[in-house]
Amino acid sequence: MAANIRKLAYFLTGLFIILIIYLFYLNFWQGPVLANHPYNKRAVALEAKIQRGTIYDCHGVVLAKTVAQGGLKKRIYPQGEDFAPLIGFVSLRYGHTGLESVYNQELLGISKVSKLKNFINRLARRPQTGNDLILTLDANLQHLARQLLNNQRGAIVALDPKTGAVLALASAPGYDPNTIDRLVNLGPGKKITEFDLLKKDPAAPFLNRATQGVYPPGSIFKIITLAGALTYIPEVTHGTYNCTGSLIIDGFRLTDHAVHGEVYFQQALAVSCNAYFARLGLALGQDKFYQNALSFGFNQNPGDGEKLWREIYLPGKIPPPGQISKPELASNAIGQGQITVSPLQMALAAAGIANAGVIMKPYFLQEVRSPNGKTLKKTALKKWKIATTPLVAGLVNEAMRAVIERGTGQAATIPGFNVAGKTGSAQNPQGKTHAWFVGFAPAENPRVVVAVVVEQKGAGGIVAAPIAREILRAALINR
Amino acid sequence: MLVTARLKERALLLIASTYFLTGMGTIYLVRPVDNKGLFLTAAGVLILAFFALSYLWQHLDFSGNQYLLPLVAIFSYTGLIFLYRLNQTYALRQFIWLLAGLAIVTIITCFLRNYNFLADYKYIYAVLGIIGLVLPIFWGIEQGGAKSWLDLGLFHIQTSEFVKILLVLFLASFLAENRLILTKGTRNFYGFTLPGPQEWGPLVGMWAISLLLLIFQKDLGGALIYFSTFLAMVYVATARIIYTISGAGLFLIGTAFCYHYFEHIRWRIEVWLNPWPYADTVGYQVLQSLFAISAGGFTGTGLGNGYPNFIPAVHTDFIFAAITEEIGLLGGTGIIILYLLFFYSGFQLAVKAKDEFAALLAGGLTALIGLQTFIIIAGVTKLLPLTGITLPFISYGGSSLVANFIILGLLLVVSQEYSDRSRGF
Repeated sequence: MAANIRKLAYFLTGLFIILIIYLFYLNFWQGPVLANHPYNKRAVALEAKIQRGTIYDCHGVVLAKTVAQGGLKKRIYPQGEDFAPLIGFVSLRYGHTGLESVYNQELLGISKVSKLKNFINRLARRPQTGNDLILTLDANLQHLARQLLNNQRGAIVALDPKTGAVLALASAPGYDPNTIDRLVNLGPGKKITEFDLLKKDPAAPFLNRATQGVYPPGSIFKIITLAGALTYIPEVTHGTYNCTGSLIIDGFRLTDHAVHGEVYFQQALAVSCNAYFARLGLALGQDKFYQNALSFGFNQNPGDGEKLWREIYLPGKIPPPGQISKPELASNAIGQGQITVSPLQMALAAAGIANAGVIMKPYFLQEVRSPNGKTLKKTALKKWKIATTPLVAGLVNEAMRAVIERGTGQAATIPGFNVAGKTGSAQNPQGKTHAWFVGFAPAENPRVVVAVVVEQKGAGGIVAAPIAREILRAALINR
Repeated sequence: MLVTARLKERALLLIASTYFLTGMGTIYLVRPVDNKGLFLTAAGVLILAFFALSYLWQHLDFSGNQYLLPLVAIFSYTGLIFLYRLNQTYALRQFIWLLAGLAIVTIITCFLRNYNFLADYKYIYAVLGIIGLVLPIFWGIEQGGAKSWLDLGLFHIQTSEFVKILLVLFLASFLAENRLILTKGTRNFYGFTLPGPQEWGPLVGMWAISLLLLIFQKDLGGALIYFSTFLAMVYVATARIIYTISGAGLFLIGTAFCYHYFEHIRWRIEVWLNPWPYADTVGYQVLQSLFAISAGGFTGTGLGNGYPNFIPAVHTDFIFAAITEEIGLLGGTGIIILYLLFFYSGFQLAVKAKDEFAALLAGGLTALIGLQTFIIIAGVTKLLPLTGITLPFISYGGSSLVANFIILGLLLVVSQEYSDRSRGF
């Protein structure tokens, strides 16, 4: 019988070993899924205990902070609507969005770095505090951008091409993140939260148009087509083309907005000659055209697998080569085909031209700072894409100066500065064209890149260029 | 030998006491708790009670196994630390029950040292056991989904906790008497030797009793423990794997039957297979338990720093989830290993017991505790369907605690014979 008892003991030991292995499996394989499951109330409970960190702009202006209101912690946004589409909000009912969500761990101080600190705080019965964020954005510039948009649907992005630091990122219409949980009376007995009301708004105020807008780029895409042509077909610099006001490709007629006559590449960009750029696209062919767009960051996220870019960004979209017909390719070359972009995507493309061919990895977070002012983490500058060569970037830069000096973008002229830019009036199925402008200044040593889109407001040179001018001017004077 | 065993026991108790005081001290520091003085006094009294028992045994020349008491002390202390952290009312009651448990162990080890007579009352155990199971069906009250409590005015008693022990006593005496017949079989059936109905009768009887428990008391966990303990003991007695396999098959058939006809069984199994559709209702508890276990990570959130109170009934059935959340995989695995040490001691004294009754008694009681531990830990981690049973010596619960201390007492008296013999008696 002793042998039987031993076998029983082995059997039982085996069961427990399976149990231990299973426990490890549960923690390491299932753990991350379970930790983030919406039914798991731990994250919310943990947050309630912690004083969430403050968010500052690059000059120390408070963008978001947590204050105690009658025993409850409340998140307030002193800048109101200005930063809402980017920073998002924190709500007990609706969780968090935008940068509040992306940098949640830093703001709560629950990243690995601060675990020990929190433990000591707990022992000492001190309230746990999260870390502060210093953003690259400038509250003044952001406010100006919002004012210039004047509640028209659209977006503005301004960034530093040498570092990739985003200076302003405005989207309109916005919403007030302070009142997201407030109840609104919709007649007797019908109450609804502001969040639910905004969610139904056809103007989509929760959409961050600057990073996630899906727009046809129109003529501003020509700077990319031009860079591609100059890279792959250098002799383009010598040739001229006689624009007759239209171009027939495989029986498909592409009409230009004017008869531009004899044009070379600078002149063609300055007057935004469709026929010229359609021919450049055809000369490139779909493979090189596609490769060139990829080098400007299309179809890619600036940070692979990073929560920030996964959550807030939609890269420009270009269809892969293969089934693209010649008329389609010609349309794509002038930004009017299957290509879609966000203002940030176009600002990054322009930054590639401005920064001698190198697109720096864009960023919003300057540094993470502990409550006692110690820098915990600083964003390191990183090259993202080599868009083109310094030579080609210089040629495109010159052509973009011609746009401002004698072409469609004259409204963006700033006395005392050389501005480079490109206008666009993107046709879309909804009605009037979207007004676009991308550009940078000073052209010889660019410090600020700007991209502007105003939905269905007509010509870029008339609507978007003046807005871009004001942003560039403000940014140049302040920096 | 005698004195050294008790000295070793007290050295181990000292380690357990340090563990206990560290745990209580941590909670004292990090949690806002009332009645701090009261709990420190209680902790002191409990530590002294364990030591006093060891001194008493030395004084009375009792030669029981020296590892069982310190292990049970660690389990009891763990339970008390976590109850103190989860719900102080329960912690205080548990403290009282622990003292009652120690008193019972004292009585058993002092007055029942000669336990041989226990082998003579097998039919009394059977009758008492059946009464214990049937009473709650008619006069029981439902608690936590199972109708297995009797209201005694001052407190509630869960009779099935004590019937477990009667079951092992009955089987130990029955099998010690009939094991040879059961092993060899009395008739030949297509080449298999099979015993007659008087021998396999108990098997079918047990099956029926388990199903009865399952259906009328809604106690899936109890049924599972009874039946698996029964199979373990039959295997130990006969070494015939065919009994175990056919028994397990019978149990599965019974469960399948219940799955079709009884809603509460069906829920348990469906939630086990996929709890997510029932996340707000019947699946809530086990999902909260999984969240807690996975929140712990390797080293846990730290004592007093997790959210185990999100789990309903965390102080009884789900205490293991609270342990793994706050002291991590390291702590949870540590507890499992301590249980394994307890079972090792239990099985070892069964192997070396003086006769078959003693061996079956010790083996059966150890298997009972072992299977119960496995079934509840597997249940709260969703390795097996969830069953409402307690984690021995750790979970809150008077009936279960007292019953487990009776088992401890019985294991100790069985171990004492072995020690005496090894000393040359």
